[in-house]
Formats: sequence, structure tokens, C-alpha cells
Amino acid sequence: MREPTAGCEALTAPPAELASTEFSSLYAENSRAIYYLALRYLSDPQKAEDATHDVFLKAFRKLDQFRGEASLRTWLYRIAINHCQNLRQGWHDRHVFSNVDDAVWENAVARTDSPLRVLETKELGQRIQKALDGLSDEYRLLLLLVADEELSYEQVGVLVGQSPDAVRGKLHRARKVFAALFEKTA
Amino acid sequence: MKHQSKLSAEQHQQHAAEQQTQSKSAREFASAEELLRYDAAHTPVPPDIARRLQKSVGPAKPPPRSWWRNLFGW
Repeated sequence: MREPTAGCEALTAPPAELASTEFSSLYAENSRAIYYLALRYLSDPQKAEDATHDVFLKAFRKLDQFRGEASLRTWLYRIAINHCQNLRQGWHDRHVFSNVDDAVWENAVARTDSPLRVLETKELGQRIQKALDGLSDEYRLLLLLVADEELSYEQVGVLVGQSPDAVRGKLHRARKVFAALFEKTA
Repeated sequence: MKHQSKLSAEQHQQHAAEQQTQSKSAREFASAEELLRYDAAHTPVPPDIARRLQKSVGPAKPPPRSWWRNLFGW
């Protein structure tokens, strides 16, 4: 994962002066990342579409509050994570979800140091979703954030409320569990 | 004998072709993150989101009034 150079992510102009074309640029540069997070976290394309729309609408309305202390990408992720977690919490309160115990899979015989081999990429998205659905919310979110090369471990740590070292430790376990679950989807 | 050798040659060719196909479509990802990055790169954003957002955000702000319009109250 790339470590950002100091100050490279700060805005060059105060948010209040951003014109609509700059918001379009904001959307163009970040929509794929936000949509992908919503899609794989919520496990529902329609909900992901709605969530992405709501996230960017919130961002548009709160742009004047953005002080440039974090990168725009991090700020958008913060909005997206809060939004998606609120949605999932709402569903959890209304439905019974099987709570996967990550510890069970951490001890599974998974060749985590071996590459993940995929014979057919046609249904890869479904397999990935199935494996992610088997993870706890914490591990799922961690893997999705770390997969974004524009985020450093420090930024991921800020987003999940953990130190970078804690992120690295949990990431190692999350990879292990994911690999074991992914193998089962073949 | 000839028939048998022809069959085995055909079977051999078919097996080689299958192996080639498998090796072409098989991909290896060093980590879960690499797999997710590949997936993300091949997951298009629905264009409807931008259209809905445009509606929700509303029309673009009008340009600021010229100073002479402000001066003359036009």
C-alpha cells in the first residue's frame, strides 16, 4: 500500500469555493471506490446504488464543513462507512443474522501464503461476495479499505478506529479467514 | 492398431487444448487485497447514480452578478 507524501492530499482551495464542476470531479475520481465499498459491504447492488447516491449528496451538502484535515477520499469513506453501518445496524435489528465466528476460520486449514488461484473469472464477483459475506463486519470493512491503494495503513486505522499496528495484525487474520472462505466457494 | 493410435492422438490433442484453455483463464492473486482490486476494477459504477445525483443536487449556481449590475441595481 502506498504511503502518501506529506500534504499531498490537502485541498488547494477552501470547500466553499468549490464549483459544481469540481464536485463533478470529486464524483468522477471517487465514485468507483465508494460504490465498490458499498456494494461489497452491503452485499446488494440496489442498496449500494442508493447508498452511493446518499453519500455523495451528503458530501455535496457538507462540503463547506470540510476543513482539509484529511484527504477527500478519507472524508468520503468516513461518510460512506457511517452510512453503510447505520443501514446494516437497521437490518440487524430487524432480522436474525447468522453471526460468523471469525476465530473458527482463523484456525482453518487455509494456505494463506499461497496465491489465490482463480480458474474462471466469470463468476468471480459472486464468489468474492460470498466470501466477504462470511466475514465479520470488522474484517470485511478492513479488507475493503486496505484494498484501496490510495489509503495508507494510518488512514485505514483512523477510519476503523485502530492503530496502524492493530490494522496490520487484524489484516493478517482477515486475509486468512477470507482465503479459507474463498476456497470454499469454488 | 491404427484406430487406437488415432483415438489416443485425438485424446492427447484434446487434453493439451483443455490444459491450454485452463492456463489462459486461470489467474493468481497474491493476496485478498489484490483480488479485491481486480474485482473493483471490473465493477462498473451504475450510470444512474450520477443522473440521480444531478437531480438531487439541483441546477448549477448562476454566475455571480457583474459589479456594474450591482452598482446600477440591474
